[in-house]
Amino acid sequence: MQKHKLRIGIVTTYPPGAGSLNEYAFHFVHALEQKQEVAEIILLVDELPPGQRYDQPDLNQLHKGVEGSTGTGEAPVAVAPLRFVPCWRFNSSLNSWRILRAVQQCKLDVVLFNIQFASFGDRKIPAALGLMTPALLRLFGVPTVALLHNIMETVDLKNAGFNYNPLIEKLIRLIGWLVTSIVLRANLVAVTIPKYVEILEKRYGAQNVLLAPHGSFASEAMPPSFDLPQGPLQIMTFGKFGTYKRVETLVEAFHLLQTKHDTALELVIAGTDSPNAPNYLENVAKQYANVPNIRYTGYVREEDVPHIFGEAAAVVFPYTSTTGSSGVLHQAGEYGKAVVLPRIGDLAELISEEGYTGEFFEPNSPQSLADAIGYIIDDPERRIEMGRQNYLAAQGLPLLEVVDWYLLHIESLLKK
Amino acid sequence: MTNQMNIAIHENVVRIVTVAPEGRLDAFSAPKFREKVLSLIADGVKYIVLDLSQTPFMDSAGMAALVSALKQCRQLGGDVRMVWPQADPVKRILSLTKFDRVFEMKNTVEEAVSSF
Repeated sequence: MQKHKLRIGIVTTYPPGAGSLNEYAFHFVHALEQKQEVAEIILLVDELPPGQRYDQPDLNQLHKGVEGSTGTGEAPVAVAPLRFVPCWRFNSSLNSWRILRAVQQCKLDVVLFNIQFASFGDRKIPAALGLMTPALLRLFGVPTVALLHNIMETVDLKNAGFNYNPLIEKLIRLIGWLVTSIVLRANLVAVTIPKYVEILEKRYGAQNVLLAPHGSFASEAMPPSFDLPQGPLQIMTFGKFGTYKRVETLVEAFHLLQTKHDTALELVIAGTDSPNAPNYLENVAKQYANVPNIRYTGYVREEDVPHIFGEAAAVVFPYTSTTGSSGVLHQAGEYGKAVVLPRIGDLAELISEEGYTGEFFEPNSPQSLADAIGYIIDDPERRIEMGRQNYLAAQGLPLLEVVDWYLLHIESLLKK
Repeated sequence: MTNQMNIAIHENVVRIVTVAPEGRLDAFSAPKFREKVLSLIADGVKYIVLDLSQTPFMDSAGMAALVSALKQCRQLGGDVRMVWPQADPVKRILSLTKFDRVFEMKNTVEEAVSSF
């Protein structure tokens, strides 16, 4: 008997939208659309600024069936059609209602949420109201799975961009506890780090939380080249900057490195401001105008990502706190790169849990960071060895397989 | 008048294979495990018992190899049963991923085989 194919809705940001988790969504959807259990994917995305639009695939072409590979030993399958339904706005308090209405019109089997605590806004009320959507949909009979990329218990609020006094921090934690309790009303809540499962089970008594690893984005195993291009050695950082990803310490460390090294060096700051920190990089560029050999790439298009990573001698994570499993770490692994990481909770755990390796530095210490980068760029053998281990770790679990985990859990959920 | 009776006899033999990883099932050993399971499936096997009772360690890459086996068997109309692990690291990953709710878990290989 032919199995019922799923119509899956995903509430998310998506390129060219610049909201956080857009890159993860892009790769997740690319993996999901290759699965034969999927009839159609409806992306319930945020509305774009004027002049931008989502790249709606040609449905007629898709319905003819484009051959894809699952990469898991399965037969090639047709790519599921993809449809964009822009239905929510960053910082709007009406998002839950709008998403509910869109879901009801689309008649979906299940709705996935690709979210973190600031997905729906950087203002507390819209952010909190948006996070109630999984529970609301479930209340209306729609099965929901929330992929929660961070949890309140592990976010350093001050470093994550919320500059409040301790009393207000306590209040935010309380609101965070309430909001988390509501997010846990989804049928299933997936998190990417084992510790998150344990925290949510212990603090909230949750029984519906599961570990679904971040997964690597590369679909085919292509061993990377460990050779570097001619020219200066590139030290690269990648992401959306200004909140908990801040480059001041990195720029100062780079300055120290340049004064002590004969080798030509270049610092590549790849990416844009976080939506929560407009003009951050412009201000950094002004502040450190005296430090030479820094390149600000701006937004990196998907097709340029391999060059940016491929040319880097080391990838640095100038995080002051973390808010979840790092997509950039997985990307660095895919390109066989040595990485430099701060000595803070999540990343250290991720390294040990998923088989990655890196040099560590004390957050906010330019000297410590300069030393850590120096260990890598001064020792090519060490750089290559670290890159090789990170490559093997990244290959361990492709996102293409993680998506199967979701589908199996959804299948079990819908059987109930 | 002849008193003839035709009796049709069909014998259905379900082929069930038990796979018991006895070493660590992690990112480094998972490819070999997958290769073995793929060769079984290519050989026509679609009912598998995964006996984890002697597996001392498993990480998420190992879990992914088991999930891949489950998915492929189900796609062929078969299924997988899993025998509960003894080792804590293996129990932990099963519990964290909640795959102990997706796989049908059994206490012994015999119980698993007879459940198909």
